[in-house]
Amino acid sequence: MAETDLSDERGLTEEQKLFRESISDWGERNLPLERVIEMNREGHPFPEDIIQGLADLGVIMGPVPEEHGGMGLSWKDQSIIEEQIGYIDPSIATAAGFMAVETGWGFTINRYCNEEIREKYIKPAIRGEKFVGIATTEPKGGSDVAGFESTAEKDGDEWVLNGEKTFISGVEECQKIGGGYWVNVRTGPKIDEAPHKNMTAFFVPIDTDGLEPQEPYDDAGRGSLSTSGFVMNDVRVPEKYMLGEQGKGFYYTMEGFDNARIMIGASAVGVTRRILEEAADYIKERETFGRPLAKYEAIQFPFVERYTEMEASKLMVRKTAEMQDVRYDETGWGEKTGDPKTYKPTEIAKWISMIKYKVPHLAKDTADDAMHWLGAAGYSSEYVFETAWRGVMSYCVGAEGGANIQKIVIGRETLGKDYVPYK
Amino acid sequence: MKFVVLVKQVPDTNEVEVDEETGTIIREGVPSVLNAFDEFALNVAVDLKEKIDKEVEIIALSMGPPQAEEALNKCLAIGADRAILLTDKIFAGADTWATAVTLGRALKKIGEVDLIFAGQEASDGNTAQVGPEVAAHQGISQLTYVTEIEDFDPEVGEIICRKEIDEGHLMVKGDMPLLLACMPRPDFEPKIPNIREIMKAKKKRKETWSYEDLGGDEEDYGLEGSESVVIKTYSPPPKGEGIKIDEEPERAVEKLLRFLDEEGIL
Ligand SMILES: Cc1cc2nc3c(=O)[nH]c(=O)nc-3n(C[C@H](O)[C@H](O)[C@H](O)COP(=O)(O)OP(=O)(O)OC[C@H]3O[C@@H](n4cnc5c(N)ncnc54)[C@H](O)[C@@H]3O)c2cc1C
Repeated sequence: MAETDLSDERGLTEEQKLFRESISDWGERNLPLERVIEMNREGHPFPEDIIQGLADLGVIMGPVPEEHGGMGLSWKDQSIIEEQIGYIDPSIATAAGFMAVETGWGFTINRYCNEEIREKYIKPAIRGEKFVGIATTEPKGGSDVAGFESTAEKDGDEWVLNGEKTFISGVEECQKIGGGYWVNVRTGPKIDEAPHKNMTAFFVPIDTDGLEPQEPYDDAGRGSLSTSGFVMNDVRVPEKYMLGEQGKGFYYTMEGFDNARIMIGASAVGVTRRILEEAADYIKERETFGRPLAKYEAIQFPFVERYTEMEASKLMVRKTAEMQDVRYDETGWGEKTGDPKTYKPTEIAKWISMIKYKVPHLAKDTADDAMHWLGAAGYSSEYVFETAWRGVMSYCVGAEGGANIQKIVIGRETLGKDYVPYK
Repeated sequence: MKFVVLVKQVPDTNEVEVDEETGTIIREGVPSVLNAFDEFALNVAVDLKEKIDKEVEIIALSMGPPQAEEALNKCLAIGADRAILLTDKIFAGADTWATAVTLGRALKKIGEVDLIFAGQEASDGNTAQVGPEVAAHQGISQLTYVTEIEDFDPEVGEIICRKEIDEGHLMVKGDMPLLLACMPRPDFEPKIPNIREIMKAKKKRKETWSYEDLGGDEEDYGLEGSESVVIKTYSPPPKGEGIKIDEEPERAVEKLLRFLDEEGIL
């Protein structure tokens, strides 16, 4: 842990303070920065002892209700947990892979799945024994979520899935420990004016016949967590593995994105804080021309600018998580995509897009700055900055939706629907 | 069965400031933590509870300002079943004697207790007196420098502990009720409460007892009830830098011997 402490616990509940303390203690013992850097160098699959450790710590899928194996935590609680996970693992592989994906998407799967899936996959994933993820992106549909081509046809009480999913987090890990994916397919013809119609979500176990995992990509960052994809050749899943209702997949997917993006925003706050603390230790110590680096405005000013943005982002993330709590509180467990009285879901989505766009960029830019502040040392993997920079970039370029897509949502909600660029 | 663990919240820094008038530590504004010795004692109690086949209630008991509740919350997350905070202006400024009196009165109010666990010392005062004084006030036996519980027979009421001494260690048998002043082993890793345990702790029983609850004469408590007076507090002058011999073993021995000789030590 850095000597400089930029955390501010004011405003947290007693429990939230303890969450942070436990995660820090666990991190110091099991995931010090040296291990984070080493894990990234060694590559995937993600180490099982860390998966198990996170599960034992109880940080995966906290908002899932207690009766379904979770803890019924608020999104605010979970965002504070996620922030601290980002703090201990600024490579963002932990925060991204096992926390954000499983928490955001696992929680949403659990809202729409049957008891069998819950027992066989959700509960074990919370215990660290399985992995659940999301497979929506396809070669022809990334940002354009409804622009995909995979299909499912009904055959008796089964559905037969065909198509290809690409850039999917955790496939290798899922193969290794078991689990499955939320897979979006088309269960009817593509309607050009409304391509999101006929989109249906299924839960597909990774070991289903006809599902062929692809070779992982050699990604720039997040080295310890795999990104790959799979081809589906006549993959058969029972009708009961459909998530929610037929044709509603697009709406559920938007809900899943909302939940996962809150987690991304929160973890990026933690990443930024860690980078600033580690950098502060160095610039206070390192002298050039007889003075510590921290005394030069050229270094101190961007440092405090990033710090200010980090605190602003933290407040935004917490407000957004609170909005999401209102959404789930008011619509109640089991309701379909919520329509709370206090905020419109699109308004909540706007805030979620604001943090998803802003905070990963802040973390990336702060890592970039820190490398400048430290010079050659910052560029080397002795320090965590370059690992963090490469990792968090994944959330700028695309993972859980690229920055431009977030801006389109923010623009739509501020300027009005008439100004959506691509319509 | 009932175990009580005596815990204290201590400042999380070595740069403690002292109130010049009273000679006591100023706690406001300094980040606080659960005293590491007490955390160890609680871990010992929780481990023991897990091992035995009997209903055990672990009570974490602390005297301190209202903010000491934070340390008790942590105890509940680690595994205490109930927490009691003794807090009152009347209790403030207590030395080890008055602290032991206050804790003793609370123990009486709690009722029959089988084992009392205390940290060997607190990292702010380092007196190592409170545990033994509590045992004396209660009129029960005590074992100090306990690093491990080797054997426990709740039926017979016997406990065998490993007690550290300068020359090594002793295995000591004690009869309950008993106070154990616990000393963390070098390899001790405290239990990290998980999120589930932290949330569960929120629902556990928490009480605050004041002077009214404990009764007795006001003069028995706090600064007034204290037998000792701090006349002066000062920081010892910093130690000079040592000499480091960074050489191959043979050369290092040679150098060391020469140094000891020159200094007239040999
Ligand atoms: C590390 C990593 C992990 C991932 N994990 C998963 C996963 O687990 N599951 C999953 O389903 N997907 C996953 N993805 C894929 C991710 O969802 C997509 O990258 C994302 O949706 C963007 O799609 P794309 O990469 O195809 O880019 P494209 O859609 O081709 O977009 C390319 C660029 O153009 C911009 N752009 C697109 N449309 C517009 C427009 N109309 N106006 C302005 N700009 C536009 C985008 O913002 C982006 O910058 C992952 C991606 C990464 C990098």
